[in-house]
Amino acid sequence: MPYQQHHSLSRATQFDKPNLIMQLFTPRDMKLVIKQPLFSLIDPSSRERKMVGSANGATDLSSEMEVDAFRRLFPLRFHERHLLESVRPDARSLGKARETSLALGAVASADGSALAKIGCTTMLAAIKMEVMTPSKEAPDEGCVAIDFHMPPICSPIVRPGRPAEAAPVASKQLSDTIISSGMIDLKELSLVSGKAAWMAYLDIYCLDADGALFDAALLAAAAAFSHLQIPVVSLNDDGRIVVVSKENGEKPKNKPVNEEKRKLKLRSIPFALTCILHKNYILADPTAEEESIMDTLITIVLDTSCQLVSLYKPGGPALAYESVLQDCIALSRQRVKELQKILNEAILDMDVD
Amino acid sequence: MAAKGGAAPATYSPSPTTFKKKRPPIFTDVDWVRPDGRDFHQCRPAFLRTGAVNAASGSAYAEFGNTKVIVSIFGPRESKKAMMYSDTGRLNCNVTYTTFATPVRGQASSDNKEISSQLHKSLEGAIMLDTFPKTTVDVFALVLESGGCDLPVVISCASLALADAGIMMFDLVAAVSVSCLGKNLVIDPVSEEENYQDGSLMITCLPSRNEVTQLTITGEWSSPKIHEAMELCLDACSKLGKIMRSCLKESASTSTSTSQE
Repeated sequence: MPYQQHHSLSRATQFDKPNLIMQLFTPRDMKLVIKQPLFSLIDPSSRERKMVGSANGATDLSSEMEVDAFRRLFPLRFHERHLLESVRPDARSLGKARETSLALGAVASADGSALAKIGCTTMLAAIKMEVMTPSKEAPDEGCVAIDFHMPPICSPIVRPGRPAEAAPVASKQLSDTIISSGMIDLKELSLVSGKAAWMAYLDIYCLDADGALFDAALLAAAAAFSHLQIPVVSLNDDGRIVVVSKENGEKPKNKPVNEEKRKLKLRSIPFALTCILHKNYILADPTAEEESIMDTLITIVLDTSCQLVSLYKPGGPALAYESVLQDCIALSRQRVKELQKILNEAILDMDVD
Repeated sequence: MAAKGGAAPATYSPSPTTFKKKRPPIFTDVDWVRPDGRDFHQCRPAFLRTGAVNAASGSAYAEFGNTKVIVSIFGPRESKKAMMYSDTGRLNCNVTYTTFATPVRGQASSDNKEISSQLHKSLEGAIMLDTFPKTTVDVFALVLESGGCDLPVVISCASLALADAGIMMFDLVAAVSVSCLGKNLVIDPVSEEENYQDGSLMITCLPSRNEVTQLTITGEWSSPKIHEAMELCLDACSKLGKIMRSCLKESASTSTSTSQE
């Protein structure tokens, strides 16, 4: 706590009125802190923070500014004050995830793609299918290559040339989860046994980073696989696989090799929920601000039948007891149902179009 | 990064387009139809929206046909430690492509230094750099899908994002390019047309001040053709400028109306 105060004080130089910092310590402001979630309830949109004050007219500008300053100066106290009231600064209850939406087919140049949004966190996943020669050990199996990118646009922390540390970690974690969940049967990616198989390149781009990146990335990945349309291909005379183009009108010389296998059968799709453990509170689906202040995270991945796929708790000062884990898993179960519904609706929407 | 153990095997795209290098005869005829059925002097419909990325100080999303771009602005923030003291602000531009932006995976992700510097050059004339001394404004662009005219779309989108971030500018920057294909001039070309073009011309300008910040001409041109192309571009820029302005007005009016509720 003391070092956090110190750290934040350097930021306080941004404010015009230096005596504002002194005012923060008056008890009056503690009441104002509680006012904030109500204000957010009226306007939970992302714009809220940028236009602080304009909502209640010019008279309230100073008090709103003070809440904002308090939030920056004593982030932990600000959040703990909220937790006491069982509410979070964005007016959510502790166990509630943010609003989630899903759009399939966002990228026309990919074979399968999806855009997932959890709160402000936005992920774009796209799959490109390429052909490879399968290895000798598994001649009937294709391959899936998963990469997670955090381009500089997504967060002020990421700079070009210096990739974010979180990206390769998340990349590996996503890859492990998707492969081990058994969602994809690699045998379905085979084209010609021993000669050719599909390599599915799945690239996930974080477009806006606001916490719970893994959850959003996994949702986007699963949705992109549900959207995947495998191109119809045939084997040409040189032994290469080429796309059968419909435009020519004439019957292709070579028979397509995969006319029947244009969609993957997805078994047991994994869904993730990240929670923050802080004292004896469990906060589901944290924002970036919450993640930076309270840093014990636990990510639980369950599949559609609520079987545990992965549980990831990368250290942190709070310890996870059995009861805490049970609570987190219970929250994840609810979330899986929500996410499954969202995914099914997105697939139905696509089929209608 | 292959998900299965061992080194990633070599892969190739099954799409046959990579083998066709010859220009199809359709592009040399006088009266051909453009791939998306537009008139030669008709731009693609532009979709613009500000506030796409919440983590940034300002951002914009632009969609022109299949070209989809997001630009985020960060700052003005502290310049890099190694930088010398400067009375005027700095502008730092970077353009990246997603691996799936191009028809064949990972084709465009390497050479974007040139595009980044062109973006920098076309914006710096429009920004009042002396309003943020000692600091840097970062302009980061991500091309989600490349469908032709990527640079002009990035530039227009970036100027919109700068306006959204509240960076002081003399005017918005609108950019339009024209391709020369045989005897014809086509405005706002798609990638297919760009691949077979004889020459291209791009103008980035400040539409309400009628000033040009950058003019790029490549390939084979005759003087009357250049005149014609410049007229076309400037006209399209002023129209694009109006669309950008109305987009900004719209986002400003929606944000004030929600705050009044």
